[in-house]
Order: sequence, then structure tokens, then C-alpha cells
Amino acid sequence: MVSEIFTHKNTSPKSCANDGLLTGRRVVIQPNMSARGWLCDAGSPALEGFVALEDATAVARMRDAGAELVGSSRMSELGFGLAGDTANRILSGGEADIALVTDTMGEARVAAAGSGVFGFKPSFGMVSRFGLVGLVPSMECYGILGKKLEDIIDILSVIAGKDKDDPSMPDETSPDFAAARKPLKMPCTAGVLKECFDLLRDRERKAFGTGLARLEEAGLTIREVNFSEFDLFRTVHHIVASVEASSSAGKYDGVRYGHRSFSGKNWNEMYLNSRGESFGSQIKTFLFQGAYFQFENYPAFENACRTRRRLVRNVADLFERVDLLLFPTRRLEHDPEGAATINHIYDAFLLTLPANVTGQPSLHIPSLALHSGADIGVQLVGLRLDDPRLLSIGMKLSSTAQGGTSHEI
Amino acid sequence: MKYEAVIGLEIHVQINSATKLFCDCPNRPGDEPNRNTCPICLWLPGALPHLSQEALEKAALACLALNCTIQPESAFDQKVYYYPDLPKGFQLSQHHKPLAKNGWVDIVGDDGRIKRLRIHHIHMEEDVAKLVHEMEGKTPISLVDFNRAGAPLIEIVSEADMRSPHEAMEYVKTLRSQLRHTGSAECSLEHGTLRVDANISLRPRGTDEFNTKVEVKNMNSIRNVGDAIAYEIIRQTNCLEKGEPIVLHTRLWDPEKRVTSPMRSKFSGPCVPDPSVPRIVVGKDWLKEMQSRLPEMPGQKTERFLREYGLTPEEASNMSFERDLSEFFEAVVKQGLPPPKVAGWMTTHLVPALRDRNQTVRETLLTPVRFARLLSMLEKDIINAHAGKEVLLQLLSSKETPEEIVEKGRFRQVSDATELEAVIDRIIAEHPSDVEDFRKGNMKVMGFLMGLAMKASQGKANPKLLKEILTKRLD
Repeated sequence: MVSEIFTHKNTSPKSCANDGLLTGRRVVIQPNMSARGWLCDAGSPALEGFVALEDATAVARMRDAGAELVGSSRMSELGFGLAGDTANRILSGGEADIALVTDTMGEARVAAAGSGVFGFKPSFGMVSRFGLVGLVPSMECYGILGKKLEDIIDILSVIAGKDKDDPSMPDETSPDFAAARKPLKMPCTAGVLKECFDLLRDRERKAFGTGLARLEEAGLTIREVNFSEFDLFRTVHHIVASVEASSSAGKYDGVRYGHRSFSGKNWNEMYLNSRGESFGSQIKTFLFQGAYFQFENYPAFENACRTRRRLVRNVADLFERVDLLLFPTRRLEHDPEGAATINHIYDAFLLTLPANVTGQPSLHIPSLALHSGADIGVQLVGLRLDDPRLLSIGMKLSSTAQGGTSHEI
Repeated sequence: MKYEAVIGLEIHVQINSATKLFCDCPNRPGDEPNRNTCPICLWLPGALPHLSQEALEKAALACLALNCTIQPESAFDQKVYYYPDLPKGFQLSQHHKPLAKNGWVDIVGDDGRIKRLRIHHIHMEEDVAKLVHEMEGKTPISLVDFNRAGAPLIEIVSEADMRSPHEAMEYVKTLRSQLRHTGSAECSLEHGTLRVDANISLRPRGTDEFNTKVEVKNMNSIRNVGDAIAYEIIRQTNCLEKGEPIVLHTRLWDPEKRVTSPMRSKFSGPCVPDPSVPRIVVGKDWLKEMQSRLPEMPGQKTERFLREYGLTPEEASNMSFERDLSEFFEAVVKQGLPPPKVAGWMTTHLVPALRDRNQTVRETLLTPVRFARLLSMLEKDIINAHAGKEVLLQLLSSKETPEEIVEKGRFRQVSDATELEAVIDRIIAEHPSDVEDFRKGNMKVMGFLMGLAMKASQGKANPKLLKEILTKRLD
């Protein structure tokens, strides 16, 4: 069944696992996450009609834990940005409790910020990417949106951990998520990047300031830290992600599946026409940019990779002094869904993409950073592969700062 | 000639692991088209590659056999180009961080002396699919067979140390022999499990510059490798003499017309580090394990055979070139037969017979014990060499024992002097003029009469005894 907000609607979502951790929890996924027999076109005509042959590891694990998979939302083409994404509409319409949205530059957290729910991007390597029709392999992962933080923790505890089908995952054993469910004891020190704070507009600064004040009241010690290379996150993300996207999308040639143009005289024309007709203008531009660095300016790509490693090291150094970093989640003047150019997309995800560059976990908490009705959100960024600790801090801060015993908003 | 050739070879070798490089599909490209495929080697959306440990181990063994140093860390890159035989839009290959570096093989060079040829590096990569061009009615169609897509390959990149077609051929032969010893690869140029690309440039003799090179592909035998390089040297010499510049390009060897001709240059794309295949980090224990699996190499074997078995250098080298044959040789020697005799019989009779039948010794019914029993019948003068050769041919495909074959085929040697004397007397009587010639001093007649006598005995006469009697009678 297809609708304006669903690319696939599951008519029998009940799982046979009656006593699983996720029993009764309704989850909506995206059509770039393989669910056997469901359309899996990643929002692109390049995969026109492609139906998943087997479940992605994350999907299979949710099913086994009793989750009700209600269907697939609509998504942006190949998961780049949020244009046309309907996950938050499905959540606010009450048709699901939890939504999975791939987070390549902050999509899950920014979508959550736009609809007043929690949004979480796990550490890179925490969740198997097997069955995820990805675009930027070194940065993307399953993002989780939910009204309750407990739901996010439960989903993560089910889908996280080693998978033989994804050899790129680190060897560390799966973390203990039981710890995440207990609010962490304070004191805790959080850093705010001066360079990030400086670029906020007045209204954004006020909203973020409100959030910081509430967190301080909740027992968090906040200190300003310097990170002069902040603007490099965006540049590095743009170059590396576009190059990886260009490689990843190379497989969409119309030979084995997806849209095939019949207007060409030979395979080369078939290839060019199929791709030309398949991709939308925005993703096409992004792929072109990646191809530019691959074919015409490889040294710039190598430089970006080196810079990325340096950024990872320098952020790790900051964690010698703080337990977590705080960022606003979204920019008020940049619309992530309506962004018309690649640059506008990057403007809208400027504050979330650093965690994708470094592979760190990042939790968006809603309803803290408010100013005259606008919620720009607060993101907590923790150490890579230490997701339970970050979630535990999140539990404590959200419950205290939002001033209630319930974590529901 | 005033020019000297500078030759480097890039050799692709298919590793014979049970599965493909990044999935569990059978590594059998020749099966029914598209039978051996899965979401990983078809690179369907959502697939992730996982590196075959067996392919990695076999590749490492091949590197060690060519005296390379396995690198502590190696990694895969995406070689980006677009072609329908490439399901990913890139080929996974080790461009920036190859598996092994700095190897060498020793050959006998043009001057007859041992020459060491250096190997720059060896890297792993996946093979591409096979394109089949057919007609559907009047419409030409192209079909893709993905059986070969993802098959494991190593590419062996030599330094430009070779100076002649002969050296290039010797390099390929030596390298092939060493690789086959490891059991990691079939290495057949005919079957395409070993593919040679040659880079050739010329320079004035006595200089050490490296000039623009031309790549030559599509040589399906070692002889063709030599011929294609020889052709290319002449072609480039003619160009230079005419004052035409040498242009960097690729040429295709035509084995029918025996010429090279330019081919449309393949677009060579960039190599981007692959984010999904984990890098290969080699530990000390693993490396030790690989080294312990490396069998004795042909060169070491030759030296040992010289030392232990008293073979001539040529015999020792013949007996150590192929692993199957060298193991067969040693097993026969263990049965108590003199090594030079075993080597001699294997080289002059067994190897040519195998070549005629296009079989390896393992594929025949001949075992070391059966061969040893045949040789000991020869040793004991029960049969002669002529009959021995017949018996050997039968042993290759018959289940009967050597003794049974000798009895049945009546191959037993005639060592009865009276019987042989009668034969010789008859021949002498039938050829009076030849006997006259001999007595006048024409020694060649001896051989002629021997031949007639041997023929008269249906090849079964004991040649020593026959000669003794003939000499006595002619005196």
C-alpha cells in the first residue's frame, strides 16, 4: 500500500515475538533500509522498482525483538538532505512511535528538531550497515527519532552490536545499554565551541542561551572551548561525502535493476541516458562535485582526508577537558527541506555534520533551547563508541531540565 | 643494434581459492553464465564486501614465493571507471597500500649468467565480469556474465629490469613455476588464469634513461609474450629511425597475424580509498604461519637435488621445475632406484608422453611405485629401453601391473645367446655386400646391422648381448 507519506505500508505489522524488548513499539523505516519484499528505491528512480531481497541486519533485529514495522516513509533522493522526507509527519500523525532516518549530515537530528522529538545519531560502527542502501559509507548511519528517549535507547540496544555481515564494524564488544537507561550522576562538564556560538544569529543565540541555562540548572558545568578549525568540518564533509557519493552511486547503471533508458545507441549512451534521466538535479550536482574531486582534483580530496583525521584528533583532545560537547541542532533561517542548492543544504546542516565527520554519537534534545516559540534544539556530542554514557547523560538532563519526572514531552 | 629495450611486466594471476574475493560464491568463472552470483558480487543495493581469508592467505603465499615483503598494513581502493562489466562502478584494488613489496626472481639472463629481476609490488584485486556480444536476430546485443565478477586476482608489477624478449619469457616461466609450487594458482596463459601485459620502451644503448613506454596486451602463451615484445622492439626501432615520436598508448597483440596494433585507450580513473573493506593488518603470528606453509621453492630444490642425488645441473633443474613432477621424482627415488636413471627416464620418456596426452602425472594411472617397478625391470635387464617405453605408455592408462604388461605384451628381453646368434647369422648371410663394406673399414655398417637385428627380434633383443655377438661374428 502506498500513500502520500508512505512508500510502503505494512498491512500486518504485528511481530510474532510477543515478549521482545520492542513488542508493541511501532517503527517506521525508510525505503533505503532493506525489508524483505518491500520497495527499496532509496527515493530515487535510479532504483526504480527495486524490492529488497532480504532484511537489513537492523530491520531483522527489530523484527526479532517484537517491533511492529508499520512501513516506509518517503525520503530525499538517496538520503542526502531532507527534501520530501515524511518520517516526522508519520510520527506527529501518531502512526508510529519511532522513526529510522539515515543520518549522513544530521538528517535525523534536524528532522527531530523540526518536530519536537528526540533525535539520535549513533557512533559510526555502532550499528551494522548491512542492507542499508547508503550513499556516504564512512559517515552515514541509522538515525533514530522518538518521542521518548527510552524508545531510542531500546531501539539502539536492539540494533547495535557486531554483525558478521558488516566487517567494517570495530571489534569492540557491544556496549551495555542497561547503563544508558539510568540517569548518570553529575557532575559533568560540557564544552561549547566559541566559533560555533559566534556564528549564531541573535534569535538563535538567545534560544541556545536559554537551553544552556536550563542545563546548568540541571547540574551541568558548561565551559567555552576554542576550536579555530570549526569551519573545516563543512569543507571536509562536502569534499569527502561528495566523493564517496560519486563512488557509491556508480553502481546505478541500469544494467541489473532500476530505470534503464532505451534511447541510446550503445552501452555508453544507455549508461549516460539512464543516469541522466534517473537522478534529480540536486543529487546530480552533488555527484558531479564528487566526480570533480575524483577525476580533476584528487589532491584536494587527499587533503580533506588528512584534515578529517586531524579534526578527529583535535576533537578527541577537547575531551581531555570536557565530558561532552554542546551544539545547537538547527539554524532558524535555513530550511533543510526546501534548500535549493547544495550550499543551502550545507548551511542547514552546519551544526550537525561535525558528528558525521568524526563518527561521534550525537543526541538532539527538544524543548530546551526555546526562544519566543522557536526551538533550535540542543545536541549533546559524546565520545565515539561510548553511546550509553551519552544517552545516560541525556536521560538525566532531559528529565531535570524539562522539569518533570516523565521523559515524555 | 644501437637501441636497448627496457621491459617491465604486469602480470595478473587468478588465485584458486574456493570462493570469490568478497563473497561466498564459488570461484568458478567457467560455470553456466550467472550461476555463481549473489547480492555482493552483483553489488545489489545494501551489499557489503567481506574479504575471503582463504584468498588473502593464498595471495600472501604467492607473495612470499616471489620473495616479497608482506606489508604490515594494506588496504583496498576503489579504481573508478564505468563499464558494464564492472557492477560497482569501481574495481576494488590495492592501489595506495599493496599487500606486498620488493620481491625478486632469478633467471638465466641473455649472457647465460644468473640475473636477478626485481618485483616492485604485488597487490590484490577483484576480477570484472565477462561481456558476451551476440546477435538477437539482426540486433547486436551485449550480455554480461557475472560469474567472474569478484574472482580474486593478484597483480605482480615488475621493475623494468628486463632487456630482451628472452628475459621476459624466462621471467614469466620462473614466476609461474614458483607460483604453481605454492598451490595458490593455476597460472595458465591459455585459460586466462595468468595474463601478461608488457611495457616496452627503447633507449640508446649505454644510457640509463626511461623513455615513453608502450603497453602490449593479449598474449596467450609464453612464446607470444616473446614474439609480441620482439615485434614491438622492431616497430619502435623503425619509428625512432624514421624520427617519429613514441606515443604512450596500449597495443593489442594479434596471435594470428603476429603483429601489434593500437587499441582504443581505456579511460583510467582515480583510486579512492574504500571505506567499507577493513584494512589488512598483518600480525607476526599470522606471517609466521604463512611462512611455514611456503613449500620448498624450485631454486632451493634444484640445489638440494644437485647435492643429495648427484644429478647434473640440467637434470636437477628439470626435476624441480614443477611441483608434481619433483614430488613424483623423489617418491620414485625413495623406492631405491638410482636418481640419475629416474631423472633421465622422466625427462626423455615420461614428460614428453604427458605432454602428448595433455595430462599431468596425477591425472594418469602411473604411480611412483609402478614407475619404480618398471625402472627396476630395466635395471635388471628383464626388458630393454625400447620395450620400457612401450610399457610406460601402457602404465599411464592401464590398471595392470608393470609385470603383467611385460608378460602379456611379451616385452621380456631376449638374452638367450643361441637365439640371438641365429638371428645375426641370418642377417649376415642376407647382406654380404654390407659385411664386405664393414670389413673394409666402414664402421657405420655396424649400426645398420644392429638395427636390422633388433627389428628381427621385434625390439626385444638385449642390445648389449646383441652387439657382443655381432662384433664377434664380423671379426
